[in-house]
Amino acid sequence: MEILACPVCKGELTLTVGSEEGDEVMEGSLHCAACDETYPITDAIPNLLPPSMRV
Amino acid sequence: MATDQNEIKRFVQERYGARARGVIELSSGQSCDSEDAGCCGPSDFDRALRLYNEGQVGGIPAEAVAASAGCGNPTALAGLKPGERVLDLGSGGGIDCFLAAQQVGDTGYVTGLDMTPDMLELARKNLATTGLHNVEFVEGEMENIPLPDASVDVVISNCVICLSPDKDAVFREAFRVLAPGGRVHVSDMVALSPDGPTVTDAEAWVACVGGAEDKAVYLDRMARAGFVGVETTDENVRFDQEGLSMNVASVKVVAHKPS
Repeated sequence: MEILACPVCKGELTLTVGSEEGDEVMEGSLHCAACDETYPITDAIPNLLPPSMRV
Repeated sequence: MATDQNEIKRFVQERYGARARGVIELSSGQSCDSEDAGCCGPSDFDRALRLYNEGQVGGIPAEAVAASAGCGNPTALAGLKPGERVLDLGSGGGIDCFLAAQQVGDTGYVTGLDMTPDMLELARKNLATTGLHNVEFVEGEMENIPLPDASVDVVISNCVICLSPDKDAVFREAFRVLAPGGRVHVSDMVALSPDGPTVTDAEAWVACVGGAEDKAVYLDRMARAGFVGVETTDENVRFDQEGLSMNVASVKVVAHKPS
């Protein structure tokens, strides 16, 4: 999770942990300060699709 | 154009999602009624077994093998070394990620990137049965890879780049995330001449035929993205059900980012 980057600007993301199992973040979010965009983490899968492709 | 590209991506997403759901249903004992191309079956499993030797898939969940829609076996030739960081573009049910993870070991790391939520769900289920701790699956696009510059050593991909309506973006992004001296090892479908594939409708696109581009153009895109030492091997021409050439072939491509 720590190596991920914003898909738009490739900048750093700040992780907010909702819930964890072991060393894995199950729910939470990743925030890009530069784009002011938040990417959700659901069932341990971060959704880093560009906002235009998000369902 | 942007809308058309997103339409293609959504169609690919929908069909591969159906494929993943088919595998999840089969593995949970439900019947798989759908007859569309996204529905998996024993034939897919057999086809995958021809691409991956049996010893290789021995420790891999059957569901990962069944969901595989690849046309090659990129980890077989990637020469992965312990400690290497690997990115798999279009990781599907995870088979190539699991094979790569075994090769790079605990000091290495594998990121599987896919844009289809159902495939990611299947990959996560499969991961849980492998006991591997060096694999992560991420929802994202290969045209907009969510990794920092120079963060991986090897990019692998198995019959997925042909599905992209913007291959320049894919190669540009693959080049960006590779560390200097890094390499790509992909299996993909290409057309054998500028005439392109004999069929190009949406169904053909999903079947990895419609989006197959003239090999020369494909390799030129890689060179323009900055790759050097671009080489292809194992060309395997594809025929339709009547035995006629579809003017496409699966091919293995290796290329390097200069040190």
